[in-house]
Amino acid sequence: MSGILVVAETRRGELRDVSLELIGAARTVKDAAGGRLAVALVASDPAAHAGALALDGVDEVLTVASPVPHFEAHVAQRALEALIESEGPSLVLVGHTIDSLGFAPAVAVRAGLGFASDVTALGWEDGPTASRGAYGDKLVAELDFPGRETTLLMVRAGAFEPAEGAGEAPVREVEVELGDAIATEHVEFREAAAGDVDITKADFLLSIGRGIEDADNIPQFEELAEKLGATLSVSRPLVDAGWMSNARQVGQSGKTVKPKVYLALGISGAVQHLAGMQKADTIIAVNSDPEAPIFSVAHYGVVGDLFEVAEALDGHFD
Amino acid sequence: MLVAAAEKTREVFWHFPTWLEALWYVLAVSSVLVFAYGVARPVAKYRRGQRSGLPPRSELPGRFMTATRTLFSHASIGRRDPYVGWAHRAVFYGFATLFIGTIVLAINTDITERFFGWRFFTGNFYLGYSIVLDVLGLALILGVLLMMVRRGIIAPRKLDYARPDRAPEDPQYDRRVYRAGDWTFIVLLLVIAGTGYLLEGVRIAMDAPGYDSFSPVGWAAAQGYEVLGLSNGVLTTTRHSIWWFHGLLAIAFVSAIPFTKAQHMLTSYSSLVFKDPLAGKRLRAIAPERAAEPAGYGKLADFSAVHLLQLDACTKCGKCHEACPANAVGRPLSPRDVILELREQANLTMKDVGVGGVLGTLLGGRDNGNGSLDVAIMGEDRVRVDTIWACMQCNACVEACPVGIEQAPIINQIRRRLVEEGELDANLQSTLQVIHKSGNSFGENKRKRGRWTRELDFEIKDARAEPVDVLWFVGDYASFDPRSQRVTRALARLYRRAGVDFGILYDGERNSGNDVRRVGEEGLFESLAEANVATLNECDFKRIVTSDPHSLNTLRNEYAAYGGDWEVAHHTAFLAELIEDGRLDVAGRLSYRVTYHDPCYLGRFNGGYDAPRAILETLGCTLVEMPRNRDDSFCCGAGGGRIWIPDAPGAERPSENRIREAVGLGELDFFVVSCPKDVTMYEDAIKTTGNGERLELRELTELLEEALAADPLNQHTEAAA
Amino acid sequence: MKIVVPVKQVAALDDEFELLDDGAGVDPDFVERDLNEWDAFSLEAALLLREAAGDGEVVAVSVGDDEATEGLLTCLAKGADRGVRIWDDALQDADVLSVARVLSAAVERESPDLVLCGVQSSDAVNGATGVALAAHLGLPHVAVVSGLSYDAGSATATVERELEGGLIEVLAVRCPALLTIQTGINEPRYANLRAIKQAREKPMDELGLDDLGLDEQAVAAAAGARRRRLRPPESGGGAEIIGGSPAEAAARIADIVKERMSG
Repeated sequence: MSGILVVAETRRGELRDVSLELIGAARTVKDAAGGRLAVALVASDPAAHAGALALDGVDEVLTVASPVPHFEAHVAQRALEALIESEGPSLVLVGHTIDSLGFAPAVAVRAGLGFASDVTALGWEDGPTASRGAYGDKLVAELDFPGRETTLLMVRAGAFEPAEGAGEAPVREVEVELGDAIATEHVEFREAAAGDVDITKADFLLSIGRGIEDADNIPQFEELAEKLGATLSVSRPLVDAGWMSNARQVGQSGKTVKPKVYLALGISGAVQHLAGMQKADTIIAVNSDPEAPIFSVAHYGVVGDLFEVAEALDGHFD
Repeated sequence: MLVAAAEKTREVFWHFPTWLEALWYVLAVSSVLVFAYGVARPVAKYRRGQRSGLPPRSELPGRFMTATRTLFSHASIGRRDPYVGWAHRAVFYGFATLFIGTIVLAINTDITERFFGWRFFTGNFYLGYSIVLDVLGLALILGVLLMMVRRGIIAPRKLDYARPDRAPEDPQYDRRVYRAGDWTFIVLLLVIAGTGYLLEGVRIAMDAPGYDSFSPVGWAAAQGYEVLGLSNGVLTTTRHSIWWFHGLLAIAFVSAIPFTKAQHMLTSYSSLVFKDPLAGKRLRAIAPERAAEPAGYGKLADFSAVHLLQLDACTKCGKCHEACPANAVGRPLSPRDVILELREQANLTMKDVGVGGVLGTLLGGRDNGNGSLDVAIMGEDRVRVDTIWACMQCNACVEACPVGIEQAPIINQIRRRLVEEGELDANLQSTLQVIHKSGNSFGENKRKRGRWTRELDFEIKDARAEPVDVLWFVGDYASFDPRSQRVTRALARLYRRAGVDFGILYDGERNSGNDVRRVGEEGLFESLAEANVATLNECDFKRIVTSDPHSLNTLRNEYAAYGGDWEVAHHTAFLAELIEDGRLDVAGRLSYRVTYHDPCYLGRFNGGYDAPRAILETLGCTLVEMPRNRDDSFCCGAGGGRIWIPDAPGAERPSENRIREAVGLGELDFFVVSCPKDVTMYEDAIKTTGNGERLELRELTELLEEALAADPLNQHTEAAA
Repeated sequence: MKIVVPVKQVAALDDEFELLDDGAGVDPDFVERDLNEWDAFSLEAALLLREAAGDGEVVAVSVGDDEATEGLLTCLAKGADRGVRIWDDALQDADVLSVARVLSAAVERESPDLVLCGVQSSDAVNGATGVALAAHLGLPHVAVVSGLSYDAGSATATVERELEGGLIEVLAVRCPALLTIQTGINEPRYANLRAIKQAREKPMDELGLDDLGLDEQAVAAAAGARRRRLRPPESGGGAEIIGGSPAEAAARIADIVKERMSG
């Protein structure tokens, strides 16, 4: 087994950024791993994106035609199993995304692969090595995969820089019998509620999380946001609890934002939340827990009581 | 046949042929039978309730004595409302006297005279009887008139019976039936008493028996007849007519007692006999025979017999309605209306026979009952879930009720069922889970419980490791809330200054469970109590002192059931002791103008009103009492788990209402509290009502510490000079 | 209708936890164990389906040591009919694929109509156990389900997948199936303590590896990764901590904000 196989992702006809990040990740270990770097895309019209995937460092683009217009987990699973079988990579890279969560672990089981998900760092020591979070990202676990000929790693979105630079990889169509794999039927897509506000357009976000404790504390932060000239956004738990609409939700299943300033109050920084805001220019976090993961992406941190800080902050913006 | 004029007496059946007398007796006996049936029916209903909670027979004589004393003194009726106290005394004593008088007369006429030939209704006895009944009958009329004036002219809001748990559009909002029933009742009393005097007047006018001074009101009525100048024939007819009108009305009234508002004569008194003197302070554990049953009250059949009785004891006086802080801030809860709603449901289960059917129709026209209490009490058109959760379990209702109804404990029992069915606010739910996991409501690791001690410059003993005189049970808020921690540290410094040998449990202490129990989570309360008792029983101490009134209540009143029997005091009582013993020199050091808020669980529940006041006085502060103080104190809104439930935005909070009340007292230096939850609630309310500049909060301990630091030089030099 | 709900008793670290010297693990004194947040939602979904059907069996299964019993009792208290706990010391450091293998042996015997897992556990955050389990069982699967509609005995279930950016995909999946359930799909009910105490009377099976026809080798063979070491995250490039009182910190924050927003 040799070489690296990257699995790209599309959604509703658009190539997803994570695909380019995976190529970037693959390139960091390509030399050590030796062999070729191939990028595979399973889609109803894969050829449309083949060009975008033929980046510098990519040796080959493999296209697999899907019998269904949208992502289907079992089709993706069968396709990947077939590709692993036919191409024999030693390392397979997939994004740790909602779509991939739907099939990658199944491939690992059925093909007897080494496996780790939500990987944030990649290495090679006589075989792949990886790092991922442990105990909810409070610690880091370093992994290896002894005795595995092929290892499948699901890479955290945003952990690697996207690859750049055009290349000249040939495109090869791979035929895989996929029709009988289908086990689900797409009915429709539903957009998130538009809501009264588009937090992705805001320059300054005041973001609140579980730390505010009570729904009836929200008005004071709405007022504070207004005073600061910021837009109020929230982390997932407040939406789950029904306190705020998900139009204001920052995170993997909410919006991804890149404001000039992201001021997080009472947000611990679960990985799904970080995915939605870690690219902000300036991140200031206030949390009573000194070990809160948000401090790992924040530029400035305050370990303290968010209510006291918020109250004091109020006075500076009259 | 005229009785000899020389004999002081009067004829009972004036000019009655035998058959008429016989008819009268038939009617009288029938009315008694109807009365008996009317009593038997609800008693059968009560007996379908749960027996646990019934006091042992040995207690009954004492309970009757206490109930009778309470009744005769009218202390509970006149409380906070002297007008009603006097009016009701007049009605009560008047009615009781007339009633007893009638029975005495019947004994004379139908027993002693008929069977033994002994007539005692004569001579001085008769004269005495006459004057007493005349005067007390007049009292009855005056009392009723006072009640009419109150209801009709003074018209206090609560007497419109408007209920906060229904909107005006709801069909059940209409309370006209109640108002009409109450008016009917007092009008009837007036008519019966009035016709009695009219009858007496016509008798005196016709017979002129003399001894007018012993029947002054009757004599006055007689003068009225004279003025009218009616002929003897007219007077005779009048006399017969009024006799029968008055008589029939009276016996109809008596027979209807169990079916109308008048039933309170029986049910309210019985409630006083059977009530739990520790209602609210010590809630009842789940009876062992009900271990496999769902907890609490979900159907009427789950109610204890005493509580079913109490549903019928309510006179709709509205004292609890006025005292309730949830009602005061517009929440959908009035203890009165919970009781009335449950009563209506219970009445509809009674077998639908005769008069009960009429009442059933009047109260909403639902299906006839079949006697079974297997009826769910909760529902949109019954007791609503948000009504039950609006309660702060502050016991103001239990305290105010003149007839001993246990509204708050009933609400607590209903909560037990709601908790079991998962019908509780999501925040409350997660707080309970957090308490279960970490032993405190803050979700902090229990290792952090003793952290507040770190900023002290001395070590506090670990009561688990060494013997102490005083075991200080700190409480969650005092241990974990930053604002309250300041008070806790101040208290520690005071204890040290006074040379107290004290220790704390550090991470061995758990939430005392008082509020968990008030929320209705009996299982969690039990596990907290058992754990705390086990820890405490391993320790060596003389007494427990706590800074938290909620912990005080449960440690003192409820932990005994789990094997915990100790002397428990609140820190204000302990500090007062220390001051009196001269261990804290604080006399006359401060001269602030303050008001003091009595915490529910220290004051109303445990009678701890005086120690804080004594301390303030000793300090030299001027205490301006809150209008609602001592047992009438107004809850801050944290109790009953409400501190763990978010408030509806925009509505006034009880704590805000209270701060406004304080601001109304004029210039004050401090709003003084002695409970950690009050510290939290009122610091917040002072801000949210915009009174941050006008009013400052101090916990009593903080004033004491300030006093100790205040320069004593003046006192000493003056003393020396 | 039978629904199996795999649950996990997850570990949460205290603020001041300590690593064991060799980086092999965390000092257990500083670890709090609790039922996985996601599993409360998947269990609730199962209970709601059973209530809607009026009939059925909900079985909670967990691979875990003694501490997992508490989580299973909570499930039973909420209304699960039966609990199954699987443990063997060999499972101490089992990775996600090993756990999936062991679970599959237990779940297979149940022949469920639906298997509802949580999307992920809050401590390991693999997000993979459910789908890996589905592969062993040969069941169709959908991950990250935020809406579910299923009639007992039906050949399909209609589910909603919660995608990035708040987009929802509605799809039909062939049943029996395995779904991984996302938080927010319902409101998990409260398990009161009395019910938890009474839940001890409910059936709870405790199985070892040999009860499932497995052994240490099989578990090791199923593993996907080996953890070489556990270490604290790099603090390089981490946040500049602003010290001082809340008032001082707020003043500094205000300065930073004004400076960044003016540029």
